[in-house]
Amino acid sequence: MNRATLRLLLLLALVASLALAACGDDDDDDGGGGSSGGQETEQASSDMPGEGKPPVTLGTKDFTEEFVLGELYKQALEAKGYTVNLKKNIGATEIIDKALTSGEIDGYPEYLGVSVAVVARKDIVPKSDEETYELAQTFYEDRGQMISEQTPFFDVDAIATTKEFADQNGLETVADLKKLDSFTVGARPEFRNRFQGLKGMRSEYGLTNAQFKQLALGIQYQALDNGDVDSANVFSTDAQLASGKYTVLEDPKGVFGYQHVAMVMNDDKLKELGGQDYFDVIDEVSALLTNDAMISMNKAVAIDKQDEAEVAKSFLEANGILQQ
Amino acid sequence: MTALLAQQGPVIPEFERGSDCVRENGQFCFDWFVDNFGDVFAPRLVEHIELTAIAVAIGFAISFAAALTAYAYGKLETPFAIFMAFLYTIPSLAFFQLMVPITGLTVTSAEIALVSYTLLILFRNIITGLREVPEDAREAARAMGLTQWQLLWRVELPLALPAIMAGIRIATVTIISLATVAAYIGVGGLGQPIFNAIQSGFKTQFVAAGLLAVLLALVVDGLLVLVQRGLAPWMRATRA
Amino acid sequence: MQTFTDAIQFLGDNLQLIWDKTVEHLLLSGAAIGVAILIAIPVGVWLGHLHRGSFLAINVSNVGRALPSLAVISIGLGVLGVGFLNVMVALVILAAPVMLTNAYVAVEQVDKDAVQAARAMGMQPRQVLLNVELPLALPLMFAGIRTAAVYVVATATLAALAGGGGLGDIIVNQPTYGPEGVVAGSIAIAVLAFATEGAFALLQRAVTPRGLRKRGEQVLLEPTITPVTNP
Repeated sequence: MNRATLRLLLLLALVASLALAACGDDDDDDGGGGSSGGQETEQASSDMPGEGKPPVTLGTKDFTEEFVLGELYKQALEAKGYTVNLKKNIGATEIIDKALTSGEIDGYPEYLGVSVAVVARKDIVPKSDEETYELAQTFYEDRGQMISEQTPFFDVDAIATTKEFADQNGLETVADLKKLDSFTVGARPEFRNRFQGLKGMRSEYGLTNAQFKQLALGIQYQALDNGDVDSANVFSTDAQLASGKYTVLEDPKGVFGYQHVAMVMNDDKLKELGGQDYFDVIDEVSALLTNDAMISMNKAVAIDKQDEAEVAKSFLEANGILQQ
Repeated sequence: MTALLAQQGPVIPEFERGSDCVRENGQFCFDWFVDNFGDVFAPRLVEHIELTAIAVAIGFAISFAAALTAYAYGKLETPFAIFMAFLYTIPSLAFFQLMVPITGLTVTSAEIALVSYTLLILFRNIITGLREVPEDAREAARAMGLTQWQLLWRVELPLALPAIMAGIRIATVTIISLATVAAYIGVGGLGQPIFNAIQSGFKTQFVAAGLLAVLLALVVDGLLVLVQRGLAPWMRATRA
Repeated sequence: MQTFTDAIQFLGDNLQLIWDKTVEHLLLSGAAIGVAILIAIPVGVWLGHLHRGSFLAINVSNVGRALPSLAVISIGLGVLGVGFLNVMVALVILAAPVMLTNAYVAVEQVDKDAVQAARAMGMQPRQVLLNVELPLALPLMFAGIRTAAVYVVATATLAALAGGGGLGDIIVNQPTYGPEGVVAGSIAIAVLAFATEGAFALLQRAVTPRGLRKRGEQVLLEPTITPVTNP
């Protein structure tokens, strides 16, 4: 065919693909990280501090408890007039922190021990939850973020085995694992390199006999049940632990840290959202989150397979944050 | 104020209990599936179809343009093919992740990857289809006085249609499969319940999401076979 | 681009890791390919020899190719649980159809004259199969095995999501290995896929009877895509 024809066809194809791309991107409505600069035209009433504020994007990590936390904060903020865009299941700490610093999200609920060990990369073992809070706060403020008050509940990484395995080998603490010739520990990928993970287990407890087996997060209980791994990395508020089938090994050296949760927000966005007014909404919810509360919510979602949005709603209604 | 509340402890409501099947993580809890189909699965199915349709449409537009260009300027074929083959070689889990720093956790990131995966298949099929047009047909057309353009649109493309449709079919089915992995960066689709199930170990969700994706792929494949046959009735290929 | 050079660096710095993961990857792939061959080839050859079951034999590969790999792994996770076995079964399900169809077509379409000549010479059906049909069918049959093998090696990347190990473990672990690790893992898989393709191509040539070496089979309506590193 001749060149003029070819040019015309190429033009048509180009137009077609651009048109399709434009149509495609209409679905792409994520309300990304950047907001159009604060347009508070009127003073928001104290009842509804969120009115007139720009939309806020919150993220969560990739497991049940974070989904629940995300929903709790989202619904509480919405009840106070905020527009919230919740991006669930972003990924592990390393990934979601990058999303925060790049502005892709404005904030997310973080475990403060993880903030210190993983985000700030301090290979130290803080002695108390206050110390952890202060270390985290200093680190984040230097970097351009602010944190809210921490929750009463904490959720630490832990090592669990089946009850039989623990009884057979006389295991009560993580240090006891040194007795074994070698053992496998199944954990999510990021565990391998973390001080609050395999690295710390090796350096603080001398567990050079540990063999790492990578498991996608969530599969660890199945793997324990099948005997695919001797031990597994679990979270202390996991609903499955209430079943009695597993023994959680104690962590006397506190390698896994103090892990209360606080909302980490980018500072400039926080100001646009009303600063302390915004954090007051967050703190009101956080104060309600005791260990019992979290575990029962986790259980409803993980064991009874209820929808996390429904579970969060029930909890907030029962405690007067949402009107029934 | 908040301290007082903390002392009393929060009210923990009675959450709905799951059925026995669900609590015991049985093989397939039909009741749960029916209850939750509308919320958990149906929207994902729609998202999945959207992801696929956009990718194939855009991919086709690009491949079509590239194929026509390479058909006219033969020398371009190899560089195009090599580039497209390179894109195809990138493992899906990697491609989606690597797009995130560039275009964010958005559908755009997923689509860039998915579109890339269609290119090689469509390009190869379109250009081969055009080439395989019998020389007799071309000569007859030229003898009848058709221009180059008319030759393309009235003779070559129609005769290449079976090959092009076959390419569209293979590409579509491939993208349906790859779109399940797209959920890794949180853009939805039927992969989302699968990844959630990996999280929770909930067997019913594994099986339900998997089966739905398989069904979608088979139904779409079947429909496209019918379209393929309908468009080119003179080529009832036994192997289609 | 920086990430790409970092990735090469990563490969150099982490040879042991890459090696271990590659071995895991190959074990899983190899097992799946082996089992698939054991199941698919005899069935395909037998049906082709008998000239029976053509509808099934030909369409099973269409179905097989359409199966979304992650979905099959997902069903496997629900039914069989976590680990090597589950993923292997899923990979077998994904690989067997192509092998079966190719084996069937390969044997079924062996030159009828050759078969008749053999019979005329007094060969029993089994001898016909072993001495005439199989050797002539080998190229196409091997093409099917080769396609399936490369597909398995590529799809085994997803095994990482189901506790199956392999090079996918590196790709899903961006937190630990960084984007350079993800790229490095991808490079490793691509190299592995190419190597598999090459190895089987050589194998195919080695088992092709000399007289058939020149014949290639181009099936337009179902092109074989190489390289294939994606489900």
